Order: sequence, then C-alpha cells, then structure tokens
Amino acid sequence: MSLTTTTEEVDGRVPITVLALEGELDASNYERVIDDVRRLYDGGTRNLLIDLGGLTFLASSGLVALHSIVRLLHGEPPPDLESGWDALHSLGLDVSSGATQAEVQLCGAQPGVARVLSRTGLDRLFRIHPDRATAIAAF
Amino acid sequence: MTLNNLIGPERLDRILGPLAALDATLTVSLEERSGRVVAAVGAPIGARDHRRRIRRDISVDGELAGRLVVQGGPPTREIGATDGADDPTTLDRTMDALAESLGASLELILAEASARQAAERAVAAAADRADDDGGSRLDAELALARRIQRSFVPLTSPSIPGYEIASHYEAAREVGGDFFDVFRLRGQASRLAIVIADVTGKGIAAALLMAFARPLLHAAIDHAAAPVGALDRTNRILVEERGSALFITALCAIVEIRAGRLHHANAGHEPPLIAPAGDGPIRWLTGSGPLLGAFHDLGLTECVTELGEGDLVVLYTDGVTDARAATGERFGDDRLMAVVEANRARRPADVVVALADAVRDHQFGMPPADDVTILAIRRLARRHRKRGAGSAA
Repeated sequence: MSLTTTTEEVDGRVPITVLALEGELDASNYERVIDDVRRLYDGGTRNLLIDLGGLTFLASSGLVALHSIVRLLHGEPPPDLESGWDALHSLGLDVSSGATQAEVQLCGAQPGVARVLSRTGLDRLFRIHPDRATAIAAF
Repeated sequence: MTLNNLIGPERLDRILGPLAALDATLTVSLEERSGRVVAAVGAPIGARDHRRRIRRDISVDGELAGRLVVQGGPPTREIGATDGADDPTTLDRTMDALAESLGASLELILAEASARQAAERAVAAAADRADDDGGSRLDAELALARRIQRSFVPLTSPSIPGYEIASHYEAAREVGGDFFDVFRLRGQASRLAIVIADVTGKGIAAALLMAFARPLLHAAIDHAAAPVGALDRTNRILVEERGSALFITALCAIVEIRAGRLHHANAGHEPPLIAPAGDGPIRWLTGSGPLLGAFHDLGLTECVTELGEGDLVVLYTDGVTDARAATGERFGDDRLMAVVEANRARRPADVVVALADAVRDHQFGMPPADDVTILAIRRLARRHRKRGAGSAA
C-alpha cells in the first residue's frame, strides 16, 4: 500500500498550503501524514487544503489523521497517538456549535472516499469542495 | 521485575489517568508485588464508602508483577447514571468489566515493555556478535499482543431460544481494535444486546481504547436499554472526559427476543446486511450517524426492523470490506453481498466461516492488515426452535 504526498504553496486571499494525497490512506501511513502536517505547521502553514483527488482509498484510521490535522492547525498540542487519549476538548466544542472550521478544507474526494467521510460523520468537520480552484477561492 | 521499572510512573499515570473521571467513588490502583501502591486514581484508597474490592493479579512472562485493585462505593453520574444511581448491580458490573479489561490491557502493555526490554538486550548482545535478533523478537511481541487481545472477545455467544448466533474474530498481525459483545440486558432477559465496534488506529493505543470502551458500552446499554442512549452516553464520556485522539465506530442493537424486533443505531460503523428468509433481496440496514469520540452531538436515530422467521442478519467490521488483494483490489461491498447471497440458506456458523474464508482467499499472500470480525444472527423458524443455540466459529 502506498501513499504519496506532495505539497505546494499557493496564494489565495491568504497563503495556502495544498497537500495532495495520492494512493491509499490507511493504518500503515496515517501517522506519517500527521507528522507531515506537523512539520508544515511548524514551518508556518496556517491554511491547509487537502486535495483528495488522487486518493483511491480512505480507511477508518485515515480519519484519525484528518481529525488530528484539524487540531494541529488549530494550534492545539499534537495529539498523543501513543497513549490513545489526551486532554483536548476545544475542537469538539467548536464543531458542536455548528461552525465548521476553516483552517483545513478538502477538495476532490472520489465517491468511495466521500462515502467514508459521510458514513462516519467526518464530513461535518470540513468544507468540502469539488476541485482545487473552487477550494482556493473559498479560503 | 517491578511495574515501575517496566513502564515507569509517567506511563502508568497515562494509562490510569483517563479513568479518573469515571466515577468519583471508584478507585483504581496498581500495587507492586510488595504491596506498595505505585499509581492510583479516583477516590482515596480505602475510602470508607468502598464496599467492594476486586483484586486482579498482573503477571508478566508468567511471573507476578503486581496487582490491579478496583474499589467502589455508590455509583455517581456517568456510569451509575442519574436515575438508578443507587443501583448496585450497575457498579458491580462496571467494576468487574474494568478489572477484567484493564487488567488484560495492563498485561498487554507490560508484556510489550518486557519484550521491548528483552529485545533491546538481545539487540545489544547481538551487536556484539554482529548479529541482529530484532526481527524474531518483534514477532514474539506481536504474537503476545494478539493472544492477549483475543481475551477481549467473547468466544461463545449466549444461547438464546429461537435464535442462532455465530461469530468469527481474527486479529490482524498488528493489534487492531475490533470488539463485539452479545449479551442479555441486565434485568431484562427478554432482550438481547448486540455490539460490534472498531477502534480506528492501531497498536497499543487502539487496544487500550478498546479495553476501555467495551465495558463502557456494555454498562451504557445495560443502563440506557436503548441503542441511541447507550451510544450517546459512551460518546459523551469519550469526548468530554477522555478527549480521545482515536475514534470508535460502533453499532449497537437490541433485539426483543420473542417479538423478533431489532432496534439499532449506528455510529459510523459499516451497515449490517439482512437476508430475509427465502430468496427476497438482501438489503442493508441503513441509518447512520457520526462515529464515537469526535463530536459532542451524534444526532442518531433508532431504526426498527421486524425480523421474520428465518431472517438472517450479518454484521461485520471494515476488516472484511477493506481486505486487500495482492493486486490492490479491496474485498468491497459487492463481494460481501455475493458471499452472503450464496450462503444465505446455511446456518449462521457456516455463513461466518464462508465469509471469513472468502476474505482470506481474497488477500491470499498478504498479511491481514486489520482485524476481521463477523457476526451472523438468524431468527429461527418455529419448527427449528428447539435446537436454537449459540455457537462460535
């Protein structure tokens, strides 16, 4: 199983980092994706567009990566995946108030990937755009 | 070998920490073999209102390392809950489940720590001999983790008159996070609870969360006696008090045994299949909301399905549909549907074996990447009811 990630800096109304995922996001690589985004955040990224156009498969552990990425971009301490839980609450509160966060947005989800996002309710977390151009204009 | 020098006080705190909010009158502590307390959460140890104490020996590599002690008094809110707060049975069952699952997960963690230390020693020794023994050690570690994880999953389902129930569980090479539970509701023998769940993520973290979530869900169902309430309660604990970095997809169902009425709610889990008696079309049991641990409000609704005599329900985890062939192709919904279709007239035990075999064949040559769990339940036609019994594959 392989996943290729590429990043690109683009200028919309704000500077946006586009993280393109190609291949399969699953238990074998979700931690690596979180690490990649942690490095991006440390390097100054504050607006992240994840381009799912090349993603052919999203396993449930990939959802952990997406959720953790949102927390990272919120400037919250990185989740402790080793212990399995830590004391982070604010994101959940943001979501339950009905406001979708805007720091991390998604685009280009293929039908299978979109189905996983909707079945698990993770689509509530994101603004999801059909393509990259629309997404960049939305930041 | 002591608990402290195996995993250190900091990690012990992290393991026990999440339990702190569980119940104000519950104490969970770990004692060294010598009896010295090395970590504790909850009410003061030996508090006066502790009326029950469970001790569970913790062994590592066959040697006694310490003891887990769970002490409890009158239950409070989440677990014991607001109504029925004085119900001693709820607390007793929670304590039993905690002692069992936390004890098992502690052994898992300690065994891992012990294996890791041994591996480090072996690697150091091997380096001297210019030889590397790390690989086989890692295999031993994983095998141990799998064996202990197996203890979380019931091997036999309860015997329910008028129903035939079969299950299959197969652990991934790396510890996955599947669990399931089939039991009669406390105090309501006429109702059967069914849970199937999958902790997202992998490894020790997923095993820990599973060990924690299973008794939580069990107690929540016993208390709420309704699928939506049970999932909401569990979610609240995960989100508000755990702040977990991992999630759980969970389907919770309650069957009115005599009426054959199935109530279910689904928190992000794969939808079950229902194959009606005869040759009517197989369909998905729809209705789904977000998975547990990510949002404050799930907004789930309960779905009710009338099970006719002979109807078959198949539940499974994503280890089935996500199973990957060497070509990269996933097992998928279509193959799942086809296997159930081809075996729908057979007994549940045969259905789960057929499906497990198909998944194994599909990923031939590849190590299973995720746990595989399958449950099949048939409401028996009246003439078969005398032999209706639980069975496990």
